[in-house]
Formats: sequence, structure tokens, C-alpha cells
Amino acid sequence: MIDLIHVTKRFGEETAVEDISLSVARGEFCVLVGTSGCGKSTTLRMINRLIEHSEGEIHIEGQQIRAFRGETLRRRMGYAIQSTGLFPHWTVERNIGLVPRLLKWPAERVRERVEELMTLLGLAVDEFAGKYPRQLSGGQAQRVGVARALAADPDILLMDEPFGALDPITRETLQEELRALQARLQKTIVFVTHDMDEALRLADRLVVMHQGRIRQQGHPLALLREPADDFVASLLGGEDRGLKEAALLPVSERMLPLGPRLVARERVVQHATLREALSIMLWRHAERLTVVDDEDIPIGELSLRRLVGARSHD
Amino acid sequence: MTRALTWRAGTQAGRRWLAPAVWLLLLLAACLGMAQLEGLFRLVEPDSRAVVYARADFLVLLGRHLLVVGVAGLLAILVGVGAAVAVTRPGGRDFLPLVAQLASIGQTFPPVAVLALAVPVLGFGTLPIIVALVLYGLLPIVRNTLAGIEGIDPGVREAARGMGMTGGQLLRQVELPLAAPVILAGIRTSVTINIATAAIGATVGASNLGDPIISGIVNGNTAYVLQGAVLIGLLALTVDSLFARLQSRPVR
Repeated sequence: MIDLIHVTKRFGEETAVEDISLSVARGEFCVLVGTSGCGKSTTLRMINRLIEHSEGEIHIEGQQIRAFRGETLRRRMGYAIQSTGLFPHWTVERNIGLVPRLLKWPAERVRERVEELMTLLGLAVDEFAGKYPRQLSGGQAQRVGVARALAADPDILLMDEPFGALDPITRETLQEELRALQARLQKTIVFVTHDMDEALRLADRLVVMHQGRIRQQGHPLALLREPADDFVASLLGGEDRGLKEAALLPVSERMLPLGPRLVARERVVQHATLREALSIMLWRHAERLTVVDDEDIPIGELSLRRLVGARSHD
Repeated sequence: MTRALTWRAGTQAGRRWLAPAVWLLLLLAACLGMAQLEGLFRLVEPDSRAVVYARADFLVLLGRHLLVVGVAGLLAILVGVGAAVAVTRPGGRDFLPLVAQLASIGQTFPPVAVLALAVPVLGFGTLPIIVALVLYGLLPIVRNTLAGIEGIDPGVREAARGMGMTGGQLLRQVELPLAAPVILAGIRTSVTINIATAAIGATVGASNLGDPIISGIVNGNTAYVLQGAVLIGLLALTVDSLFARLQSRPVR
């Protein structure tokens, strides 16, 4: 879907991105992560030609991006940024309808699409359609930003730290919603962040960048288990890597069926993460938890031994 | 209830137009009724034969004054906004310091000197004063247009480009509307200053409200000077309050 082949970007003498190759499959959620100045934003912006690459080739569905006019290319991709970039003199409705209007959709269809998106992102149409960006909270503004990026139903979504300026609770909610949205809409997403927890939570493919180069890429679990070098290991959380990994695995993956023993008093829901289960054990001084389903009916049990020693069962 | 609301909205709108309307009425009254104040001016200038400027009708002078300022203002807006927009485009960025500097020089150059230099080339009349006013009025417009466009949140510009807006769409739909209040403030300053400055046009034969002032200075008639000054002052206040009204429109 998106292929970067030996891409390099130089600004004058300085090399911002050096010889990177990356393939993002259709429907894949690819997260570029790294410290500031590592070239992740530059890489993202080369994909929609906000920045022109110096060497190498970038392909979208097999076609060179330079085969398109910059504007044409950008209208085919959604784009969301940290500061939202909502137009302060336009209403929410008009902001979301921007790209469809640039693509000259008939007014009626734009209106329907805007309402559809507002509903999808949990923005009540009656309440928000006529509001101006300054009347929105940070989370609401970012929802509008994401809705605007999705407006013309692009296959590709480029996101540059879209949740970076939000408070932790709002950020987590939006991360979950984006993940759910992506699972449903099957968009190909390239997402830039410096927040490793966010990266691990969202990514199908995690790309660690440092000093303009890709240090390692792959599934988050693979990187956590076998970081290529010390830099990747420390960026992934150093000694906390075990907890980060536990945060990616659901309890249901490690639980055993209910045994003949007495049911443990402390409970955990099956779709909680292993990290949450461990936290409950620590907090409650319990070595065994009963796993319950959404109706609070016991369906299995999870022991500390099983939780920590589980890797040998893989 | 509805009627009360509309009535109230009506009076509010009326109140906002109040200041310009009052100044305009005073200006017209002064133009038409200057002769009635002869007694008053006689006190200032007891020895002169005539105390009310009568070589031309005040309304005609007012019209010519407005015409000169209006034409100069339009030219200054076209050139000033045009130049500022051009140097904020990707291709013109290199010229930004140059244009900002040229505009500053235009204002430091005294209009009288511009007149003196322009008359040999353009001859006597209205043309030299228009040139002088355009040069003099450029700076506030250029400076404010630059400030207005440069002051836009970079994220807004990046998003606009990232969404696939062309340069022209970005300018027309985003940059100019967002910079409009600041640009308007620059135009207001420029035009208000030029209403006063235009008076010196009378020295090179551009007949306007500066005529009574120059004539009064030449003939030692303070009453003439006062009449010209009062009318120019009232005109400046009228125009300035009109701009204030325009600017106070709710800006999103």
C-alpha cells in the first residue's frame, strides 16, 4: 500500500532521514516512534509530499507519489496533526467538510458525510455542528481533527502526534476509539508519536527511528522480546519492558479453566491485560485471581506462576 | 418577546452607527453652515475684510478631498496588500525584508519632499499629491498585512496544505479572512493619517480642504485656517468612526 524504498532526505548539508525502507500493508497500523529530531515527522510528511524526498522512491499502491500533483495526492490521504490545525473562522461542520468540498462533492452529500462522521466520533450533531473551534475542549477539537481527516473516506491516514497535547484520560479514550475505528474501517494508518505506551498500544507494526535511520521494525511484541540493540531496548522501556509486554496481552491468553480448587476471592475480567491482573495481585496480595466474563460469571483462573512463567508455554 | 428582542437588536445596531452618523452630520452642517458662524470668526479675525473662506464651496472641497484620499487609499491598499501577500508566498519569501524596508522608507520620506520632487515630473495638480499619499500610506498597510498573515497559527497553514488546498485556496479561504481584522486596522491608520496629510496638496494646486488653510497662512487669516482644520478634523473623525464600526463586527 505504502512503500518507501531507500528514501533519503537532506536539508542542505544536514541529512534528516537516511536510506530508510518501509512497507505498510493495506489496513496496517504503522507507528513511527523515536526521540525528537529522529526524522519520524519528516518521514510522515514525505509520504504526502509536504516535504519532497531527496533520494529513493515512495510508492502508493504501486504508483510513484511524484506521478500525482501534490494537492491531488494529499486529498486522497487523511492528515491529522497535534495542534489540530482547525480553521478558527470556520464552524465544526465546515471544517470537517473541507476535503469533500475541495473534491467538489455536491453540498447535500458533504452535509450527510459530515453528520455521519460526527456521529462516528461521538460528536452530537445538533450540539457541535455550529460551534467554532475555540468553543471546543482539546479532546473535542481533536475528534473534529480526526473527523476532518476521514472526511473524504481516504484509504490512508497520516497522523502526526494527534493526541500529544491531550490529558492522559482523554488521550487513552481517543487511542481506544482510533483503534476500534481502524479495526472497523480498515484504513492504512501511519502514526507518529514519541510516547512509547501510545505506540505499543496502537501499532501493528512498530518502527523505531533514531538519527534519521530505522533501527528496528516489526510487531510490538517482537520488538519487546528481542530488541535489536541497547538503544531500542531503552527506548522500549528498559527494565519496564516486562510490564509493557504484559500490557499488550489479555488475561484470556494465559488463564486456565476453572479447576477443582476453591474459587479465588479476587477477580479480573477476561479482556483486562496481564499488567492489570498483576497490579490486582500486588494490590490485593493475592497469588490467584478468578477470571470473569462481562456478566461477572467466573470462566477461569489465573495464578501468579502462570502469569509470569507463561512465556515458556508460548 | 420576539418583538422586544428585535427591537433591542435594532437599537444596538443603531447605537453602533451612532458615532459615524453624528460626526457625518456635524461635518455636513459645518460645510453648509460655515457662513452662519461669521460672527464667531469675526472675533478671531476682527481686522480682515472677509472671515469666511468663500473662494470655493466647502462641499466641493470636501468632495475633492475625499476623492484624492480615496484614490490614494485604494492604490495603497492594492499595492500594499499585494506586495505583502506576494512576499509571504513560498516563491517571494526572499523579498520580505526588502519590501518591509521599502515601506518604512516610504513613510520616513516627508510627503512635502515627495511633492517637491513629484511636481517637476508630474506637473501641478492632483497627481503629485496622490503619489505622495500612496507612498506615505503604504507602511501601515504593508506592516499590518504582513503581521496579520505571519500571525496565523502555523498549524492552521500546515493542516490546510496537508488537506490538499492549493496556494490560492489557502490565501483566499484561510489567510486573508484570518488576517482581515489586522489588515483593516492598517488601512484605517493609513487612511486617517492621509486625510490630514492630503491638505498639503493645496500647495501644488490640488484643490481640497487644504485650500482654506494654505490661503489663510498666505494671507495671515487665522479664521480660514481654522475653517479648513475643523473640516479636515471632522472628516477624519467620520471616516475613523466608520472604520471602527467595520472592525467591531464580530470576528470569528
